[in-house]
Amino acid sequence: MNKISRRRFLTTTAGLAGILASGIPPARGQQREISYLCWNNFAPASDKKLAAIGQRFTKDTGIKIRIDHIAHPQQAAKYASEVQTQAGHDLVEMRMHFPWLYEPQLVDLSDLVKELEKKHGPALSSARETAMVKGVWRAVPQYRTFFVACYREDLFKKAGLKVPDTWEDLYTAGKELKKMGHPVGIPIAQNYDTISTAGPVLWSLGGKEVEKDGKTVAIGGPQTVEMVEWYKKMYRDCMEPEVLSWTDASNNDSLVAGKAGWIHNPVSAYLTARNRKMETAAGINHHRSLAGPNGQRHETDVPRHIGIWKFSKNIEPAKEWIRYLLGRREVYDEYVMSGDAFNLPAYTSLVDHPVLKTDPKFAALRQEGVQFHCYGWPAPASDKIQLITNSFILPNMIAKAVTGTSTKEAIAWGANEMKRILAG
Amino acid sequence: MATADAGVIVAAPRPRFRLRLRLREWLNREEVLGPLFVTPALLLLLVLVAYPFCMAVYFSLSDAFIGRPSQFIGIRNFVNLWESDAFRQTFQNAFVFTSIAIAFKLVLGITLALLLNQQLWFKRWIRGAVLLPWVISTALSTLGWWWMFNSLYSVVNWTGIALELMDPPGPNWLGQKYYAMTAVIVVNIWRGLPFFAITILAGLMAIPKELYEAAEADGAGPVRRFWYITLPLLKPVLGIVILFSTIFTFSEFNIVYVLTNGGPINSTHLFATLARQVGLETGRIGEGAAISLYLFPVLMFVVWAQLKSVRKEVL
Repeated sequence: MNKISRRRFLTTTAGLAGILASGIPPARGQQREISYLCWNNFAPASDKKLAAIGQRFTKDTGIKIRIDHIAHPQQAAKYASEVQTQAGHDLVEMRMHFPWLYEPQLVDLSDLVKELEKKHGPALSSARETAMVKGVWRAVPQYRTFFVACYREDLFKKAGLKVPDTWEDLYTAGKELKKMGHPVGIPIAQNYDTISTAGPVLWSLGGKEVEKDGKTVAIGGPQTVEMVEWYKKMYRDCMEPEVLSWTDASNNDSLVAGKAGWIHNPVSAYLTARNRKMETAAGINHHRSLAGPNGQRHETDVPRHIGIWKFSKNIEPAKEWIRYLLGRREVYDEYVMSGDAFNLPAYTSLVDHPVLKTDPKFAALRQEGVQFHCYGWPAPASDKIQLITNSFILPNMIAKAVTGTSTKEAIAWGANEMKRILAG
Repeated sequence: MATADAGVIVAAPRPRFRLRLRLREWLNREEVLGPLFVTPALLLLLVLVAYPFCMAVYFSLSDAFIGRPSQFIGIRNFVNLWESDAFRQTFQNAFVFTSIAIAFKLVLGITLALLLNQQLWFKRWIRGAVLLPWVISTALSTLGWWWMFNSLYSVVNWTGIALELMDPPGPNWLGQKYYAMTAVIVVNIWRGLPFFAITILAGLMAIPKELYEAAEADGAGPVRRFWYITLPLLKPVLGIVILFSTIFTFSEFNIVYVLTNGGPINSTHLFATLARQVGLETGRIGEGAAISLYLFPVLMFVVWAQLKSVRKEVL
């Protein structure tokens, strides 16, 4: 056994005491570590790719990254607890109006977005609407997931039906589809998919929920009446009552299982059928989003962003990760490709991304002439607009109307509920 | 060193030993040992119950928004809530849901307990199996129920149609308000029944057999024996079971969240699910806390009344 000299003993103990007192490890033992919380992506391959990119990031930069996943319905509760306790992950994935909700707790990332915009072009308007809060980027646009018309092309061909171009065309085709036993599947329930369809229908008729000022309720005009009446006839002639009980996944299930003939959803329904080699995959295709009577086409887009909590002790390494994932074109491309067109780039120069050429059925995702918005548009994002969305006022207003309440009463109910929220 | 009278030398206690002796004497005193034993439990209660409760009360009286400074606004949240149609609907749902579910759990629980109290084959196995719904994770078992009520795959409707008890496509369980309320109540009864049955069974087993033998000798039939012996002696147990179940049922969350998310048209929302929607998903924790505390005074009264009645029965 080697003898420890008095000198060595003294230097070691003094060093240890210093580390314990200061709480800072010596440079040799220091490893920067960041943690990133994101949702369980509906395109699971992209979560695997993210993990692989994370490992490469650690190898290249020496910054260790821990990536945690959570189901999207649990995100809000988890974020609330992290903010209240001022502890948790360094980076968080954000959707809908989250950057607005957590604004005071999020680091200003404008410099980072500026860098990315230089490389990939300006961020898309839907990303800007949701992540730029009062002129400051509170989160960095990561990717977008938008809604599109998904239909059973084989059934349309078999029945000689014209692929719809307007919401009114869909009614014509929907009547035939229902007779064939393949009804239209638009949910009218307390879920986000319902709002994702009701919004574009209302917008393409020239209507909106709340005015641009974010203070005045816009529900109640002739466009709202037109929208409700359209839903009523769709429910009666083209759909089945089951849509009143649907969750966000039910329309996917219905199309993939071979029941629904037309649904409004991101490409995930087709991807599920294709990747699981289901019989229906060959017959499913997508077409351009539907127009209103004046030719306007609007679509729901729910961009995802990455934010950094202000309480993070690793803000700079966290920024490094964002630069690595989104700033390096080859890494960003690799990540987008892994998402099979479910996660599309959120920057204008990358809109026509090579991922759209990987499957002929992604052709309609180019969506020329379609305007994309997040929930509540054109009102600026805010906690009140988020509460209107989360309270499912639009879905419940429509559900009331299709189940017997008069159009006038249903709309008055919706307008009152929105007024109460905006006044509060 | 001390010297005893008989010339025997006795060692005086060493200082360390003396300290231990004094500590032991001190701990032997009731006024010291009692609080000492109670303190850990008290600390746990303070940290895990009192502190969160006080915070919730404070939030409910403020305009608290997640991550932002808040201000005291008195009972404004409670007043404003009443203007919301969704809240008024939730208020009504909570009473309908709780009263129907508890009535069924009580009747079925007594019936099941009486059955389990009989001489049965595989009695232990059956008693264990009865507890399963109570033991399984609620969110997981409710997912199973969701599949059973699902419009596309409903095994309930499939069976009903196959047995010609229903016309195709069968009830839209989760899409129509009365059916949806029925569905959430059914799952709550299924989940809560074991608690009633097993607790009542424990009460039944504690009733002396001699009372039944004496009543039988006097010519009392099964109904009279139940009415005049079983039920009166079960009252304290029933009081406690109903008390706990009222609180649990009023604050139910998982079943509604998984099965209907409060729909259709808010017809199955309960205080907990609405509080989550407003408080956590939208960040308005002040309003969310007010929703969850709305019934606190009523529940306090129920607890007081029930406990008073139980105490009276026992004495």
